[in-house]
Amino acid sequence: MDLNRLTNEKKLQLCRWYFRVGCALLPFVWAVNVVWFFKEAFMKPPYNEQKQIKKYVILSGVGTIIWAVLLSAWSLAFQIKRVSWGATGDALSFIVPLGHP
Amino acid sequence: MISNISDAQWMVYNSSAGPYVAVVNTIVFNEVIEIFMQEPTNVAGILLYENATERPDFFSPETQCPNENSVGPDGKCAGDVVWNENGSGLLRRDIPFPIFFLPSSRISEIDKITQCHDRYNLDKDNQKGRPLCSLQLSSFMYAAVNTAVCLRRSATSIFGIAIKMCDPLGDYNVYSSLFPRPKETAKENKQVILVTARMDAASLFDGVAPGAASAVVGLVTLITTAATLSQMIPLSDAPLYNKNVLFTLFNGESYDYIGSQRVAYDISRGVWPPLSPITSKDINLHVELGQLGGSLNLFKDNPNWPLYAYAPYTYAIPPQVTEFLAEMSSYSQSNNMTIESEFSINLPPSSLHSFRKILSNATESGELPEILLVDHVGKFTNKFYQSALDDYESIGYTYHNITISNDGKFISTDDLISNGTMSENEAQVKVARVATSLAHTLYQQIVGTAYTGNISSSAHLVDEMLYCFLRSQACRLLVAADYYSNEDTPPDDRPAPLYVGVAAASTPAALYSGHLLALLTGTHLQVNRTACDKIGTPGFSYYYLRGWNHSGICIQTTMNFSQAISPAFIKPDYNITSAEFSTWTESVWLGLWARVFVRAAGVGARVAAAAGAFATILAAFTTYWLQRHASVIFLTPVADNGAIRSVNC
Repeated sequence: MDLNRLTNEKKLQLCRWYFRVGCALLPFVWAVNVVWFFKEAFMKPPYNEQKQIKKYVILSGVGTIIWAVLLSAWSLAFQIKRVSWGATGDALSFIVPLGHP
Repeated sequence: MISNISDAQWMVYNSSAGPYVAVVNTIVFNEVIEIFMQEPTNVAGILLYENATERPDFFSPETQCPNENSVGPDGKCAGDVVWNENGSGLLRRDIPFPIFFLPSSRISEIDKITQCHDRYNLDKDNQKGRPLCSLQLSSFMYAAVNTAVCLRRSATSIFGIAIKMCDPLGDYNVYSSLFPRPKETAKENKQVILVTARMDAASLFDGVAPGAASAVVGLVTLITTAATLSQMIPLSDAPLYNKNVLFTLFNGESYDYIGSQRVAYDISRGVWPPLSPITSKDINLHVELGQLGGSLNLFKDNPNWPLYAYAPYTYAIPPQVTEFLAEMSSYSQSNNMTIESEFSINLPPSSLHSFRKILSNATESGELPEILLVDHVGKFTNKFYQSALDDYESIGYTYHNITISNDGKFISTDDLISNGTMSENEAQVKVARVATSLAHTLYQQIVGTAYTGNISSSAHLVDEMLYCFLRSQACRLLVAADYYSNEDTPPDDRPAPLYVGVAAASTPAALYSGHLLALLTGTHLQVNRTACDKIGTPGFSYYYLRGWNHSGICIQTTMNFSQAISPAFIKPDYNITSAEFSTWTESVWLGLWARVFVRAAGVGARVAAAAGAFATILAAFTTYWLQRHASVIFLTPVADNGAIRSVNC
């Protein structure tokens, strides 16, 4: 979808929706929101709805970063500690590597 | 190619293009393996090949104290008692690289590797960046860490996906009694003399576990004894005597006594043998044929073969033991054998340890008297214990290839010696003498009077049976003992590996031993196949085998199989880390393979990578430049009012 063809009001609606959907534990939707509306929020000449779009983009961005930190911390901890967690580690694994501890 | 220690040291410390695969022969292996184990970073693997002309003095991958963790209360191998003195323990250690074995029959492969090696790899100082002859070994194993971990991972996870990574080791035990033991008479069961031996061996290598002195001699002695005893005492005499003999062959003994632990455990809970279980009180005496055959090669030039009877008593020797030893000793003397008694709490590795561990109340009080027959006192005489070299040569066995008559009569040992076919010094004769002595002793134990007849074990039978287990599965005895209806392709002309294998798939050892026991001790009935299948006398099983003239014979036998799977895998709520029972498992693996090729020096690969990177950067740069200067290259189309230019031909 080309944002240039939408009215400013539609843009705000879309951005708000992406933010709300992202609240349902879907950080990737926030990430998309940030990338998609970044230019609209910070680079386009000012217009009425821009302030609100900016708000949603910032919120989505902060949310994405928090999620990214949490996920990478978990991933790192899991990769490093899986073996020493023993049975718990195996139970949490979807695929256990063959031939490795 | 490693031909001495300095080659190995060069490879480990000074080589430049590692890691390498070491090609080692069996003579050098003992000397270099520790160097590789200590510094494995430069070792990608080892290809071990058998030196056909010369043997090392010793080679045993088993530990110095085999099955040390499954011994009875006081059987620790400690201090000056080291049973397997030459054991390197490789079987029980974590080897960080694969080791492949090439038997002498495949020695031509080594010639090819040598040629390739000599052409490319001789210059040891300048190997980095040169094309080198290379060897690739593949033996990927699924399992990791230990049994607890791999079984847990093989079980279904909460996500529902699990790949089987390992299987418990196990197979079947074989048992057969002199007289039938039907269920009906369970209450008035006779006392039994338990005569046992093990039938499995191990080695580091898949498909090679000959176990000649580790297992085969004991196994063959047991089957021969059972065959002889069944000729001496007819079945119809069963009601006359109040004792019975239960011959049992244990499987999986190499791995912490799997088979005997299961039997002892089943006796303790009263479910073995399944048809009419015995308790430890019913066992009048337990005679185990342990490590036999190790010293046969030492005594190959004279008729001696000294045996030792270990009895784990220092005081209060049970009367059955004294009586048995006296009788056995006297019969041995009349058969030109010697047997010495060794009274020691410290028993050599043998299945007796399982009984001493699991039924310790009965064994310690002397209620279950035990004797172990071996041909070593103190350390093993077998220098190749549990190794690929523990084959027919290590017991000095040569096959005589004497035909078996159509009625299954074997030529007696005395006849063979008097007509010069065999000599007193040969392994076959010595094994037959031991079997005779044991059979006569068992006769006296049952009947109560000395044996005066002239039935003895035949060295001819021993010769054939050793051939089946040590040289070729495609042998006369096994053909005769096979199912009549078996239409599978005949087995290979090589010995069957005696490795116990995983419980999920059966290995030939138990089947062969069971069928041989049935054929040699069972009653041959002259009925056809349909009639044979219909008979159901309690206490017997009926097998329709090929028979001596291959026309089919109905065998009535007391032989049966029982599971040889460690109690650890059947006991509910068993704590797998308790070390109470054997918990060995085998990893699942994809095929094993090896290949030889010449590896490129790597210059070409580096040039290709550099060229590729350069081309990519150049293309990116060009694209960027073109985009920036598009207006210079492409003329802005002149608006020509939409007129279409056409070309007239």
